[in-house]
Amino acid sequence: MQKDATLDARGLMCPMPIVQLAKKVKELKSGQVLELLADDLGSKEDVPAWCSRTGNALVGTEGEGKVLKFYIRMK
Amino acid sequence: MTEKLSMVVSEGTFDKAMMPLIMGTTAAAMGTEVHVFYTFFGTKLITKGVKPKLPGFWRLFTGMFVKRMKKVGIAEYHQLVKDAQEMGVNFYACSTTMGLLGVKESDLLPGVKVLGAAAFLKLASESKVSLFIG
Repeated sequence: MQKDATLDARGLMCPMPIVQLAKKVKELKSGQVLELLADDLGSKEDVPAWCSRTGNALVGTEGEGKVLKFYIRMK
Repeated sequence: MTEKLSMVVSEGTFDKAMMPLIMGTTAAAMGTEVHVFYTFFGTKLITKGVKPKLPGFWRLFTGMFVKRMKKVGIAEYHQLVKDAQEMGVNFYACSTTMGLLGVKESDLLPGVKVLGAAAFLKLASESKVSLFIG
């Protein structure tokens, strides 16, 4: 999937992937797509919840072994 | 209007110290306004130089917990407090407890405000979610 930036949150546990995500999106512009890599078990539900609350669009999710890849389009 | 989350923390142990920080920073990261009110033994958690310990027998293992948390990206306690404040989390000390425990305003961590029950209850009544940590 096309992406403008990547945030590698592998090895971080809840809530750090979400906290880092919230910080990272401030650097991005509207319409840009961020790739987030996470292996925290909670991420599977946490990232969609964060997206729905903040109004950013989760445009794709890919699973590769234990690592999940989320693609988030900035609002 | 921004959604609000309010929390009351009434215990001063490490586990009770971490929960409002984890919940608070996450909520702030989700765009929620966060208010944390520290009362009774919780008040000690927002004083300078405090080193919260796990309760009872687990007290001995606090250092191990801190190390494990560091490994998974969770900073030490005082850094977490600062990070939470930077993300907009508001911390309040209960004025009555301060009097009872002899905590002075100058003992509080920077940025912590002193509040009475009525003022906090006003914030709580405006909150969609209220959590009690004690």
